[in-house]
Parts: sequence; structure tokens; C-alpha cells
Amino acid sequence: MKRRLVTWLLVSLLPAAFLASLALGEVRLPLAEVAEALRGRGDPVAVTIVRDFRLPRSLVGAAVGAALAASGVVMQAFFRNALASPGLLGVSSGAALGAVTVLALGLGHALWTVPLAAIAGAFLATAAVVVLARRGAGTERLLLSGIALNALLDAGTAFLLSTNAGRLELSGQILFWLMGGLESRAAEHVIIGIPSIVLACVLLLPLGRDLNLISLGEQSAQSLGVDVRRVRWKLVALSTLLTALATSVAGVVGFVGLVVPHLLRLALGPDHRRLLPAAMMGGAALTLACDVATRLLPGGLRLGVVTAMVGGPFFLWMLRTLA
Amino acid sequence: MSALTVRALTVPARLDDVSFTLRLRTLTAVVGPNGSGKSTLLQAAAGLLPASGDVELQGRPLPRIAVIDRARCLAWVPQEASFQFAFSVREVVAQGRYMWADDDCGVDDALASFDLRDLADRPVTRLSGGERQRVSLARAVATGAGLQLWDEPVAQLDVRHALEVLALARRLANGGAALLVSLHDLRMAHSFDRVLLLKRGRLVGDGRAEEVLTPAAIFEVFGVRARSEVSLQLELPDVRP
Repeated sequence: MKRRLVTWLLVSLLPAAFLASLALGEVRLPLAEVAEALRGRGDPVAVTIVRDFRLPRSLVGAAVGAALAASGVVMQAFFRNALASPGLLGVSSGAALGAVTVLALGLGHALWTVPLAAIAGAFLATAAVVVLARRGAGTERLLLSGIALNALLDAGTAFLLSTNAGRLELSGQILFWLMGGLESRAAEHVIIGIPSIVLACVLLLPLGRDLNLISLGEQSAQSLGVDVRRVRWKLVALSTLLTALATSVAGVVGFVGLVVPHLLRLALGPDHRRLLPAAMMGGAALTLACDVATRLLPGGLRLGVVTAMVGGPFFLWMLRTLA
Repeated sequence: MSALTVRALTVPARLDDVSFTLRLRTLTAVVGPNGSGKSTLLQAAAGLLPASGDVELQGRPLPRIAVIDRARCLAWVPQEASFQFAFSVREVVAQGRYMWADDDCGVDDALASFDLRDLADRPVTRLSGGERQRVSLARAVATGAGLQLWDEPVAQLDVRHALEVLALARRLANGGAALLVSLHDLRMAHSFDRVLLLKRGRLVGDGRAEEVLTPAAIFEVFGVRARSEVSLQLELPDVRP
């Protein structure tokens, strides 16, 4: 009963958040006008706003949220720890450092260099976490490794930021990565982000059963028929890739990968066959909602700041109840 | 036919040149002091631990059998099952059927066999150690595997559930399965068809309980004196109250 209710809630929340993301902002458009504009009819200003500005932004936002939440689900099962997530383990920071390095070197103009650098940075960070905190490691060890890695990677990013402080455009771009955001997302970001994120999500969805068993530990998983050596790398690669892709189009957006899997696990139970698709929908809805908040709240808030304001207190609550 | 053949199985510093063959329809116990290699033996025999030597499952070398096919004929129960996420008892037992395209076959029987029907919807994270152990056993039995390796299955169970688990092990063996069960309590080994005795990673005894667990062997391996008077004989009643 509860499960069905939550499922329906998710299924209706995502389109609602998507529509809100198309309709709300500095210019508020009624839904009828949004529908007209999507088809290229009606007021040409509205058509430009909806099709050229808000649609790419909403699509990228939804993909980023789905990617981060799915990545969080996988990391939590893989590390057997409900507090694992792309942000806390340093994977997002690794992706950001990769992207920022390419920007600082002046290579950021080609379409694929930034995403590729983000992917490389994210994989290096993941490799470091896997070495530092073995799977099944206690919460303490895992989080402390994450803190150390985050500090190190953020120091690298801060170094690049300070050495380029004089170059205003560049330091603006770097700050974008650090705070995360969906402003001025355009067709290129849709092209980079969406097909690859959708593909990675599609590859991940059939692995729910394997995730259930992996979350029991490697020996148990293997004894129940999971080819751990093969599945392990598939899971690590896909979850890292999802975080990297999300970061490459939206910068560091924290806490989505922590909050969404955890809340949905409470609501739907831990079965990853349900949890994975639900987290993808929930992550997309939460990210879109937070992005709408950045537009409606005063003061030019950034997406990463809003998700952190939602996620920070939530994380503290989790620490109290779990640790 | 032999269910499992182990030749010169060695895990550095933990298991030294152990060989034996398990036949179907037999109930075999592994005993030995703490750290003698009981758990290592079961894990290595199940192919879950890097080890040198040969393991054959129904005559085929274990490394050449696909992981999923291994799981279909060999079930392993860890000494301590840890669950990080709040799966229900039923969900955990049903994990034993994933390898059979998740058909749910035998899950209810397994729940009933281990007295888990009333706990079926309870999250495993909210069970006692003994209850969790029964859940792991139920999952292993639900796989339908003909070879069952159980690591200290009764160590955390109360006497009634321990005796029930041993009775079920006997029924599985009578039904054609081969079971290798590590035990803490030497007295329980007497109801087994065969006993393997381990000392510091070496197999020092292999045979019927009364041949292997002699007072001299017990003194040598465990350092305790064995006296055969029985102070308290506990058994299941013929009919459950």
C-alpha cells in the first residue's frame, strides 16, 4: 500500500517538476502557453524562452538528478553503507577537478574535453576510495577517506582557481563547477549529457538483482550466483561514469546522491530492482525542484547551494539515526 | 557419485594440504578448535577464497564451472550473516532463487523449515543473531543445491532450534544431499555420518565420530579431557507440542 502510494507519488512528481521547470522563472508562463511554445506556436518570446532556454535546462537537470541518485544507490550497495554517495566519497570533486584542470589549461572549448576530463578525474577519485576504504569498511573509515579525498581534490581546484584569479571569465567558469548549476544549459549540454546518461541508466537497470546480492558482501553474493569480479567493475564503472557525466554538465551538485536513495529506501524497501528506477525518477524530480527554487528564491542562489541546504541537515539527521 | 572432491587444498597460513571426498546422502561434520581452519576450509571448498589445490564439484573442476551454475549445486552459509539494508526475511530467503530466474519455488517451505513464517515480513536488520542465522540457512536450503556447506549453523541457536536444524540436515541428507557442517560443539558431531577433525589447518582425523573423536584425539587437538558420561541428554520430542 505504502509502496504503491510512493510509486504513484514519484510518477506524478517528476512530470510536475518538469512542467514547473518549463513554466516558472523570471517570466512565468501558464501551462497552456508552455504547451503551445513547445510546439513552436504562440508568442515568439515564449517559444524562445521555453524551447531554447528552459527545455535544455530541464532536460539536463532531470538527467543530472537521475544520474546522481542512481550513482548513489549503486555506491551505497557496493560499499554496503547507506552514507556512501558520490559527493561524500569525493567522486564529484574528482570530476570537478578534472573539468577545472582542462578549463584552466585553456582546452575547454572543444565539446568533449571537459566531459572526458571529468570522467578521468572521477575514475581517479573512485580508484582512490576503493583503495582507501575497502568494501564493507566501517562508516568511520569510509567517511574519513571521503573527507581526506575531498579536501585534497578541493585543494587542487582551489589552487587552479587562485592561480587564475586574474582571468575573470575563467575563474567564473571554475566557480560554476564548484557550486553546480543549470543556468544557460544549451543544446551542447543536452548532447553531451543526455544520451550517455540515459544509456548508463539503461545498462544499470537490469543489475538490481546483482546489487541486492552485492550488498550482502562479496562472498555471499558469489555463493548466490553473482560473478562478482565481472559485476563489480560494471557497477563501479557505471556509477562513476554517471557522476562524472552529471558533473561535466552541471558542476558539483551535492547530496542528491545521498538523500534520494536513502529516503526511497525507507519508503520502498531496499530491493534495488525497485530502488534503482525510483531513485532515477526521484533524483530527477528533486533536482528540477531545487533548480526551480534557485529561480524563484531571491539572491541568485545556485543549484549546488540549494541541494546542499536541503541535503546538509538531512545528512546530519542520518548520522544521528544510523551511526 | 561424489558431490565434492577436495585435493591438497591449501590457503597460506590457514589451511594446509587438506584432501577429502564428500558423497551424496551423507552428513559430514568439521570440528576443530578456534582458528583451526574450519571456516577457511568451507570457503575455499566453495570457491570463495583464493586457494591452491583442486576442488571438483560432481566430477568437474570448480574453476571451470560458471559462477551461477556453481551456486545452483553448492550453497554456502556464512558463520555470521551481516545485513546492511532492511530486506524482509522473505526477500532474503527468496534471494536463494535469483539463480533460478527468481521463481520463488520452495521459499515458503524453507521459511517453514526454519520456523521463520511469523518473521517473514520482519526486516532482517531487526533480528537477533540466531534468527539471522536461520534466515541464512533457509536461503541456502531454498536454492535447492545438493551440496550444502554450513559454517557453524547452530553456534548462535537455542537448543530447540539447534536440534531442529540438525534434524533438517539429516532429512536433506536422506533426501540425497551432501552436507558439510562445521561445528563448535563436539557432542553434536556424534549424530553425523562422518567427522573431519582439523588442527592448525591440517586434517588430522577423518572417519566416523567414535573413531575420530577419541579421548586421546580430543586431548591432543583441543587440550581437554573427554569423559563419556552424559549429564544432560537433549533431543526433540517425537511430536511437537
